[in-house]
Amino acid sequence: MSENLDLISRLIVSLGDEIESQVYAKGEFVIREGEVERNFYVIESGAVRVFYLTEHEEQVVRFGYQGSVIASLSSFFNESPSEFYIDAIRKTKLLVVPKSYLLEYVSQCATNLHDYNRLLEVLITQQIDREIDLLISSPTERLKRVLRRSPHLFQQIPLKYIASYLRMTPETLSRIRNS
Amino acid sequence: MHFTTKDIIAELIRNTEMSTRTVCAFKALSPAQLNFRKTDSSWSVLECIEHLNLYGDFYLPEIELKMIAQRDVPFSPKFKSGVLGNYFANLMKGKDGKITKMNSPKDKVPDPSTLSTTTLDRFLKQQELLVSLLYQAESMNLTKVKTAISLSKWINLRLGDTLRFYVNHIERHVAQAKRNLES
Repeated sequence: MSENLDLISRLIVSLGDEIESQVYAKGEFVIREGEVERNFYVIESGAVRVFYLTEHEEQVVRFGYQGSVIASLSSFFNESPSEFYIDAIRKTKLLVVPKSYLLEYVSQCATNLHDYNRLLEVLITQQIDREIDLLISSPTERLKRVLRRSPHLFQQIPLKYIASYLRMTPETLSRIRNS
Repeated sequence: MHFTTKDIIAELIRNTEMSTRTVCAFKALSPAQLNFRKTDSSWSVLECIEHLNLYGDFYLPEIELKMIAQRDVPFSPKFKSGVLGNYFANLMKGKDGKITKMNSPKDKVPDPSTLSTTTLDRFLKQQELLVSLLYQAESMNLTKVKTAISLSKWINLRLGDTLRFYVNHIERHVAQAKRNLES
């Protein structure tokens, strides 16, 4: 789910030394349920998953890999407790952009504001795509849609997490892939 | 054994909340403490709790669905425990403070690779759901509503007995988890 947006690269350049990067070991949490998301992250290397914990499982809702922007979004926007966990799938380096930095940057000029709006549009579109994914009953079609958006998914993310994202068992996913 | 519906549900809610408090306190432990095994053959704190999660994966949806399906069974303020149900519920308790060791069914033995700190969070979510089911059960017929059990396809237990068994089973393994922390 790479956005490749101008905003990100320009933001990184303009903030320069002020942005810190942080390394997370495999399995380490970027944020846990109940904590408030104060940052927005750009993935330099590695991969993360965003998941929702139910009584029965960790349900993956989103992935991030090199170049993606990621955050527990509603918590970031509203400063409310996060409903989601984000953890590192493997060793991952994140650029940490505090919310205050981002908002200041966005309010500097019309171009920055325009970029930010564009970023939000992309994020909303992705959420809608995801909503449609979940309405599709055929597991094969669900997989096809996701691969159209993220062709390199299987190179980046372990199968068991992709299966959880697609709401199917790892066995079903292997069977579909091999057919 | 005879109970009033109100008393037995109140007792089960009390015991459930006690287990919840104990496990909440486990969240302050270090990963090393959470994974510590007193002996090679015993279970760590996380293994005990994940074992309970696996039971919850079976029992919570089973109890909820059977309660919905049988909600038209007329309420009774009394609950009469069945012979088998009473046996299972008491089996979990042990006698005179002595706990009988038992082997768990293979599918309920935790897979060490799935243990993580979300194991505790997942358990606490299950406990919340359990308390909400217990409150709903207070207005149900605990004797006539029946649920399946995980041990055998051929046995149905009275809702009251299933709840007693399930809550006692949680108490048993939370106590087992706690023993890991005693020196």
